Amino acid sequence: MGIENTKDCHVLVIGSGGAGIRAAVEAETFGETIIVSKTITGKGGCTVMAEGGFNAVLNEEDSIQTHFEDTMRGGAFLNDELLVQTLASEAPNRIRDLFSWGAVFDLKEDNTIAQRPFGGQRCARTCYAGDHTGHELVMTLLEKLRGSTVEIENEVTVLDLLSDDGKVNGAITCDREGELGVITADAVILATGGAGQVYDTTTNSTAGTGDGYALGYRAGAQLIDMEQVQFHPTGAVTPYDSRGRLITEAVRGEGGFLKNALGERFMTKYDPARMELSTRDVVARAIATEVLEGRGTEHGGVWLDVSHLPREHIEIRLPIMLNQFLQFGVDIRNEPMEVAPTAHHFMGGIKITPEAQTTVSHLYAAGEVTGGVHGGNRLGGNALADTQVFGKRAGIAAGKTERTERRLDMDQIRAAENKLASYYEGTAKSADIRRAMKTTMWNNVGIYRNELDLKVAEREIKKLQNTRLLIASPRELSDAVITENMLLVAQLVIEGALLRRESRGAHTRTDIKQSWTNETSPFGHTFFVKGKSGIEILEDRL
Amino acid sequence: MKVTISRFDPDTGEPPKFVEYDVSVKKAARVLNVLDAVRDTIDPGFAYRHCCRGGQCGSCAVRVNGEPVLACMQEAREGDVIEPLELPRIRDLVTDIAPVMAQIAWMNSGCDCTQVTQQEIEEIKPLRECIECYSCISSCPAISVSDYKGPTIMRQEQRLNLDPRDKGDRILEAIDKGLFSCTTCHKCVEVCPKEIETPRKAIEKLRAEAAKRGLSLPAHKALAALIEKTGRSVERKEPTFLERVADVIEPEGEVRATVGFFVGCMFNGRVIQPALDAMEVLRKNGIRVIVPKDQICCGSPLIRTGLSGFLPELQKRNIDAFVKAGVDTVLTICAGCGSTLKNDYDTPFRVVDITEYLCELGFKIPEKVEGTYTYHDPCHLLRGQGISEQPRILLDSVAEKFVEMPARCCGAGGGVKSGLPEQAAAIGAIRAEMVKETGADYIVTVCPFCEFHLHQVTGLPVKNIATLMLEGYRKQEK
Repeated sequence: MGIENTKDCHVLVIGSGGAGIRAAVEAETFGETIIVSKTITGKGGCTVMAEGGFNAVLNEEDSIQTHFEDTMRGGAFLNDELLVQTLASEAPNRIRDLFSWGAVFDLKEDNTIAQRPFGGQRCARTCYAGDHTGHELVMTLLEKLRGSTVEIENEVTVLDLLSDDGKVNGAITCDREGELGVITADAVILATGGAGQVYDTTTNSTAGTGDGYALGYRAGAQLIDMEQVQFHPTGAVTPYDSRGRLITEAVRGEGGFLKNALGERFMTKYDPARMELSTRDVVARAIATEVLEGRGTEHGGVWLDVSHLPREHIEIRLPIMLNQFLQFGVDIRNEPMEVAPTAHHFMGGIKITPEAQTTVSHLYAAGEVTGGVHGGNRLGGNALADTQVFGKRAGIAAGKTERTERRLDMDQIRAAENKLASYYEGTAKSADIRRAMKTTMWNNVGIYRNELDLKVAEREIKKLQNTRLLIASPRELSDAVITENMLLVAQLVIEGALLRRESRGAHTRTDIKQSWTNETSPFGHTFFVKGKSGIEILEDRL
Repeated sequence: MKVTISRFDPDTGEPPKFVEYDVSVKKAARVLNVLDAVRDTIDPGFAYRHCCRGGQCGSCAVRVNGEPVLACMQEAREGDVIEPLELPRIRDLVTDIAPVMAQIAWMNSGCDCTQVTQQEIEEIKPLRECIECYSCISSCPAISVSDYKGPTIMRQEQRLNLDPRDKGDRILEAIDKGLFSCTTCHKCVEVCPKEIETPRKAIEKLRAEAAKRGLSLPAHKALAALIEKTGRSVERKEPTFLERVADVIEPEGEVRATVGFFVGCMFNGRVIQPALDAMEVLRKNGIRVIVPKDQICCGSPLIRTGLSGFLPELQKRNIDAFVKAGVDTVLTICAGCGSTLKNDYDTPFRVVDITEYLCELGFKIPEKVEGTYTYHDPCHLLRGQGISEQPRILLDSVAEKFVEMPARCCGAGGGVKSGLPEQAAAIGAIRAEMVKETGADYIVTVCPFCEFHLHQVTGLPVKNIATLMLEGYRKQEK
């Protein structure tokens, strides 16, 4: 083995967003824990960018049952009920954890936690820190992490998981300079977030490449519902390079209006009861329809307007939005924002039990990398809650994993080394492959889907997968592996979209007429495990 | 678009080099998009950090044309020169931030789960938005010459200090990390993408708590005692400015305006001539000057060092003095006093710096004075009052040759010169090098502390801008 750089621990956490750090500080109480992040810990992932909030039932007008129902309904009843039950009942205690660790969330005058209304929810349930809630959450977690004994490995990319006799027992890593390493562990937690970056237009950070889906898949874990990709209704439209940047749902939560180019509040046509605060899938489709039917702006968006709100309200509640738009010459106190849908959240992912156990022994997962919590559509404010509830659970379950004797599968390591060596003889640059993939996914696997487009995408992604990637220096190694991960994710999204012959949640098939509702659908999860994929048929509903 | 990027490969053993790139980018592209274009179309091995693309993660801070910015937020311009932050360098634009991160304090929360109140949350918030981009660390003049750990480190100490859930002794910790090394130059605020006011909201507050516990530097305690005893931060050694001038100084010719004059301790008692020169300049520009004799120290040294117990008394006496004089505009010639009156007082009158006022009112053009001059921006004028253009307008009118010099703290402020003179000298030595590079014969400035200190560290003559203007007027009259 050419790898000299080895480390060992009890629990290895991969990913340093909200779920990863939460898992690490929990796992630490059971034994030596290492957290690896391909970015600087806390800076990667999408938690730090989350603006809106954290859903938790905290007062008597609300109830765990209502949170459960809202989440199920919002998720088109594709959610795993046990996971949703867990999310709703534990979110309150997870926000209390954050408060005891120093969180600086907004409070009301009576010093209780402030909450605001978010789309698809019957109560004001979303706790927040201005419009930088995710940043606040990560800062709190970092203050906790830095005071812990968790070993932090920054800018280390995991190339593959290692296993022994069907049990995951470590990972092959690659540092900034391209030097390979091995970290062995009794248990591994995947907390690598989503994969918005497989699309041309996305809210995700450049780290949102879905590595965990690929790592889990290659290690034999089952994934579900990969076709369920949430398009956030309100992404920036201009300038070109800022396309897709998130305009927080809090803008609508605070009273923003959506208008088409004719000045009409078009949500009256799509969801007159909930209007702008309808669920994200509904609002995204409404905007896409307005644009498709010729009532969009010249750049292919619609208007999101807060200029009727008091200026001070905008300044206090939406400071990041205000500043970001000012940077681009738009004063949202006086003029509307131009918005269009943008790839945002992967509801699908690695299948887990409520204990965050995947279908592979000694492998756990938490946060956006998992599937089942949010069904076919995630409610705003449920993702941050998800990271904390299941981050903690993954930390506990991994921490309790029996200690095992270390046995490295040398064949696996040699195979990885050989594969990496072959990149030097490839033909295509990562950047070019990624660009082609992003365009294909955006054009053919977007909000509205049909079999023809999906087949085109399937062929195109296959073609890209068959193109051998080229690198010139070891420092490009991780980039090449990540590109392959992204292509695998794209492939699974397309497979799922073809398998799910219905419109459900964020997945809309324009070529299929259906006679059932979300609640009476005969279909369950789509599923993907190495060499096999399919869709669950609920026999009793046929 | 053509840009120049500083490249560095540690494996070659060669020093960093500038490389020019010509890449194609879209309209309104950010610096990050230019870096992406270089990586994607020219050199896949080009190293730089990036992540959120929206100014929220702080990964992509670099220097563009010398100033720290977030690459994802800064609009790219033709000819931009892109360099890493001034931190130990790893490769290309990637710097070693681990040692800085290791200094950021974490919360030491007890298990009694102390409740936090809305008021406490609101106080912490302004210190909470840091995205750890380390632009402030890169540009702080005190860090390289002392053991000072830097602005965001102090920000975090005060953030924890304000939080009832934290059980640590953040005052002792802050002192240990160099609390008294900050010159309050406010460069960190200028470069902060979140505009966090670390000197005012963290450092001065921490120093105030240190003072309450008797932990101030001995020199600062002595200074505070002097101010409390005499109303002045400078001991009287000769007849002061206020003792030498009339209560009302009438201008030459027509009265164009009337101002009250706030002299400040340095000009009153230590470097008196420039203040007298300033009176002459005002006279020649038709400005009547009213000098209330009961004015005293503005309190700046007390605020900067945290020994502000006597401050309310000073504020009241100064405001009363000028209100009694019946002026609606008070003119300062000391950057520190001006900044203090503007930012730390709630005055019923307007406060203006002499350069600001002359440019606003229009000034008599003097004759050019021989020599090569450079201008040192006093931090408390540039960043404390946002004044940079006006002194240059005056200088251009009077200096035979004026050469620019990038702004940088000279080390005299924030109580550093009195409290930690060796550090002030070390910061000054760097500034002296910069002065030398300009080839100037004279330094011009608008702050008596800078004036005094720059002369010590450069050995060059340092002229107050009023003195130079007066030379021009005198030459004209000959």
